[in-house]
Amino acid sequence: MSEALSNRGLNRRKFLKMSAIAGAVGATSALGADQAKVIRPANAQELKEKYPNSKKVRTICTYCSVGCGLEAEVVNGVWVRQEPAVDHPISLGGHCCKGADMIDRVRGEKRLRYPMERVNGEWKRISWDDAFTKIGNKMKQLRDKYGPDSMMYLGSSKVSGEQSYYIRKFAAFYGTNNIDTIARI
Amino acid sequence: MANTLGYGGMTNHLGDIQNSKCVFIIGANPAVAHPVGMVHILRAKELGAKIISVDPHYSRTATKADLYARIRPGTDIAFMYGMIRYIIKNNLHDKEYIKNRVYGFEETIKEAEHYTPEVVEDITGVPAKLMIEITETMARAKPATLIYNQGLTQHSVGTGNTRQTAILQLLLGNLGKPGGGCNILRGHDNVQGASDMSNLAHSLPGYYGLSEGAWKYFCNNWKVDYKWMQSRFKTPEMLHKTGYSVATWRFGVLEEKNAKNNSGTMIRGMMNIGSGLSSISLTDVTKKAMEKLELCVIVDPYVNDMAAIADMKNDLFMLPAASQIETSGTVTATNRATQWRNQVIEPMYECKTDHEILFELAKRIGFYDEMVRAMGDGKGNFKWPEDATREYTQAIRSIGLQGVTPERLKAQSDNWHMFDTKTLRGKGPFKGEYFGLPWPCWSEKHTGTPILYNIDAPVMEGGMGFRTRWTPTAPNGESLLSEVALEGTKSGVKGHDHITAANIEALTGVKLTDKEKEIVKGKTWSTDTSNILVDKALAAGLCPFGNGKARTHVWEWIDQVPKHREPLHSPRPDLIAKYPTYKDKENHYRAFIQYESRQNEKVWAKEFPMQLLTGRLVSHLGTGTESRAAIYLAEIAPEPLLEIHPDKGLELGLRDGDMVWIYGTNGLRIKVKSKFSLRVGYDTASMPYTFSGVFQGESIVGRYPKGLEPYALGEGSNTIISYGFDIVTTTPETKCTLCRIEKA
Repeated sequence: MSEALSNRGLNRRKFLKMSAIAGAVGATSALGADQAKVIRPANAQELKEKYPNSKKVRTICTYCSVGCGLEAEVVNGVWVRQEPAVDHPISLGGHCCKGADMIDRVRGEKRLRYPMERVNGEWKRISWDDAFTKIGNKMKQLRDKYGPDSMMYLGSSKVSGEQSYYIRKFAAFYGTNNIDTIARI
Repeated sequence: MANTLGYGGMTNHLGDIQNSKCVFIIGANPAVAHPVGMVHILRAKELGAKIISVDPHYSRTATKADLYARIRPGTDIAFMYGMIRYIIKNNLHDKEYIKNRVYGFEETIKEAEHYTPEVVEDITGVPAKLMIEITETMARAKPATLIYNQGLTQHSVGTGNTRQTAILQLLLGNLGKPGGGCNILRGHDNVQGASDMSNLAHSLPGYYGLSEGAWKYFCNNWKVDYKWMQSRFKTPEMLHKTGYSVATWRFGVLEEKNAKNNSGTMIRGMMNIGSGLSSISLTDVTKKAMEKLELCVIVDPYVNDMAAIADMKNDLFMLPAASQIETSGTVTATNRATQWRNQVIEPMYECKTDHEILFELAKRIGFYDEMVRAMGDGKGNFKWPEDATREYTQAIRSIGLQGVTPERLKAQSDNWHMFDTKTLRGKGPFKGEYFGLPWPCWSEKHTGTPILYNIDAPVMEGGMGFRTRWTPTAPNGESLLSEVALEGTKSGVKGHDHITAANIEALTGVKLTDKEKEIVKGKTWSTDTSNILVDKALAAGLCPFGNGKARTHVWEWIDQVPKHREPLHSPRPDLIAKYPTYKDKENHYRAFIQYESRQNEKVWAKEFPMQLLTGRLVSHLGTGTESRAAIYLAEIAPEPLLEIHPDKGLELGLRDGDMVWIYGTNGLRIKVKSKFSLRVGYDTASMPYTFSGVFQGESIVGRYPKGLEPYALGEGSNTIISYGFDIVTTTPETKCTLCRIEKA
């Protein structure tokens, strides 16, 4: 087991224990909820209807190109539970381990929380306004001094169609065809 | 693929695989890379289909196969020529289909003649008997489907590989049929969408290219002046020059000789929006390039691993992106089908959506007003994402997106239980639609196209021939138009050119009004935004892009028919003279790219006697930026393991689980744990490429922002993957790597 895993305060025994409870209440709800609250038996009412006033949102897994459906349960703007979409015509209620873990892609503790800049080899928190000003100025400066082909833009096959279209437009309006993405691969 | 059939996308869809009698999988491992897609393959198997796997690695997919061939990496073209030759010699090809729908087969037959079973066995390492059994099984199954993935594309001959799959399926008459097709299973969730939007250095959106006509068309759609757009570029000529690719830009930072291809400048700044940079080979080159940049902006919900691998002291910005669950919009799956992805929650923390970030930067640089002019009232009042959806679908007619609307997609999403899993056809109010409106979807009344090139369906239900993407006549004078009509064509027209203002009346027999004539003047099916040309064609039962023949002979390419060429780093130096690689390329996506000079630099196999295979794990996607930072997924696969044959392990003095150094042809080395396995052959080893956090044996965790390093850490194979790029696309040759393994 890697160093990171052994240090992260969740050992295999604990994970298995959680999994056992997960089996009782549906894997995703246990894995998705706050760990401290989850490691106890669920009561009958909870098994039946844990979030009586929740909103259910149909959405699509963000991992691979199969396009599996999933159902997110939201309470007061918080994603509390995830279920596979049993009647989705492509995924047919199936999920791989990544798709089943979708809820934690949003709430994971390793997410970036604010803009950062590397200054003399150290990460520094900066404001969005600062970030936009510094980056915008530099892009303008590179364009003025060396021409628009001094920039390279790399887009994504992990953003929406609309965003992807606007990434392509952004490069064109900046003035370069130096725009590409991993979709080539 | 696009140069043979007309389009580059997956021809059929996952559910349709259940209609297959034989599933031929070459260079793909769906059990691991597309686990839920694999369900459809297994259902086909339950229904009696034979499964064939051709792969150097006995993958999880291969374990489900009836026939498995362990092929030497980089010899797929030769293998398929062996099949093609056998099919022709034994009269197993579909002669009528070829006569009616295929151009240039004589050239294929001529080339295939060389590949006798013995020659193929020598090149590929697959016993002739097994190759013949595989061919018999596939050729006699009607229909048979072919599945491939990056095992075929990531080669110096990657484009030849994918063409060869199409040629094989054309020969058997399996293209354009339910249960048939060439089914590429692509990687990321919106990889087809990103291709369609052309985040690609060689084209504007929709594969329109970079010609003057293409730019004028898009300037018109974007409501900006063409002259103004020209003024944005260094010189007007630069509008039409293919840019640096995701693989070659690094040479634009590091090698001064490339500046002449890049309007005289080096690359000095880079902005990366959600792309896994370390999934490209030569991680050390990316690292060096980044360290030289004056500006590097990385937009990602997690720490992109290159931000830590590159030791940048300054000028590096990391912007926290909202995930796709925290915004809404379209996502196009591997089968060209688009779904509406609903927003579940607002962006967490200070995260911003990718478009907000772009908009804000455009404001600072000074082109925001122009950039959003095509949405809403044109003055900056618009509704995201719907107005952007309409903007791109109404512009991209080349792949028929005009019938895709936010309203139709949302209605489908709310009613996804109303669609058949095997055909994707809707029921009840959706009976006139296929799920996801797979492109082309020619109008709001069109069903979408679940199966490309199917002439047995009328055009309004997704029927079409092959695209007449080329001149209607080949250089040798032969017609490239189909000899059979599309089902339901009214006017008795068989093959025909693509629809233009000039030929619409003659082809459809309908007279245009003077007003209509004025609107469509000088336009074609893909540039007429009024849709008049397309609508008239549809009414006459004609496919807007024409009804042509597929071409197995691409006269304008170096390899007019696919040719076996040894990888740049070949384990068989004795074959290089007979099957040499290409000449070096001076300006390949703006960079000088080596081929023969690299292949002949030395006898690589002497120093590096083993081949390294790389692939995926179920629990990690791409570089693992997200999945290795996921606590439960990290638990499943916490570190990379090198699969090595026990006999080889013994020879190297290893015990199962020992740490080893793998030395690459670029002079670098990585340190990983070994795992004895019979999945690999004696001369090959295999490892996942999805790790990072360790670079050449040293931990780089200290370069992550404190606490944000992934849970699962390890060496990434791309640090030592051999140099090499596809001759057409510059896709890295990650699948043909030589290495040397030593006990650590």
